[in-house]
Amino acid sequence: MAVGRVVPVIAALVWVVVVAAGALAVFGLVTTALNRVPGRAMRLAVGGVVALLAVQAAVAAVLALTGPGVPELSTFLIYLVVSVCVLPIGWQFATAEPSRWSGAVIAAAAIGTAVAVVRLQGLWTAGV
Amino acid sequence: MSDRPATATGPGRVLIAVYAIFALSATARAGVQIATRFDEAPVPYLLSAVAGVVYILATIGLAGRGPGARRLAWGAVGFELFGVLVVGTLSVFDAAATGIDMGPEDTVWSAFGRGYGFIPLVLPLVGLWWLRRTRPR
Repeated sequence: MAVGRVVPVIAALVWVVVVAAGALAVFGLVTTALNRVPGRAMRLAVGGVVALLAVQAAVAAVLALTGPGVPELSTFLIYLVVSVCVLPIGWQFATAEPSRWSGAVIAAAAIGTAVAVVRLQGLWTAGV
Repeated sequence: MSDRPATATGPGRVLIAVYAIFALSATARAGVQIATRFDEAPVPYLLSAVAGVVYILATIGLAGRGPGARRLAWGAVGFELFGVLVVGTLSVFDAAATGIDMGPEDTVWSAFGRGYGFIPLVLPLVGLWWLRRTRPR
């Protein structure tokens, strides 16, 4: 069965995404601690993490749709979309009023996303 | 200027971001619970939905401007503190004693938000403090 292959792929991707989101959260908090306004580096970091999330969501969606059943498939897919959207919205909100706190807003969005991805993986592994 | 939405500036924006994330996750969670297995535990799932709505109202209140938004924020954050204390206390007592079975993962507020790193307990305290700090004089 494909089950044995699918789970490690997802697990590795989840690891990469969670580490990247965690690093982004640290970056945001450090920016706030140093009393800086997020700049180009932060924008690139957010873009990078969102790109990873998009890849992760695409792979997970394809595997979920073609592979062994994930419980509550539609919920799973909605959560995947949300996991990609939180950081761009957070970025908008953080930079609408640039201040030292913008970094902490991005950190909150990054941590929320990381937790959501881990929970999503729990939903996945519960199904296989 | 005095017409600035004082709650939505500076560190308040971090607070709003955290509230928005909880609003999203609690509402989504409750929606799934109610849509897929409402019969299993209707009371905790309805409580999840109430928590989700309270987080949405708190987010709107804190992000909005003017006295109406501030009143909404006070009400929502105050109710949130009340909710997490009541639900948290009920959930740590034996289910047999209360007659309501609420597992630690069933609502955001169960066991004072243990399933969410106790953030649900800390958040309303921070929220009330922030509302008090930014109140018009």
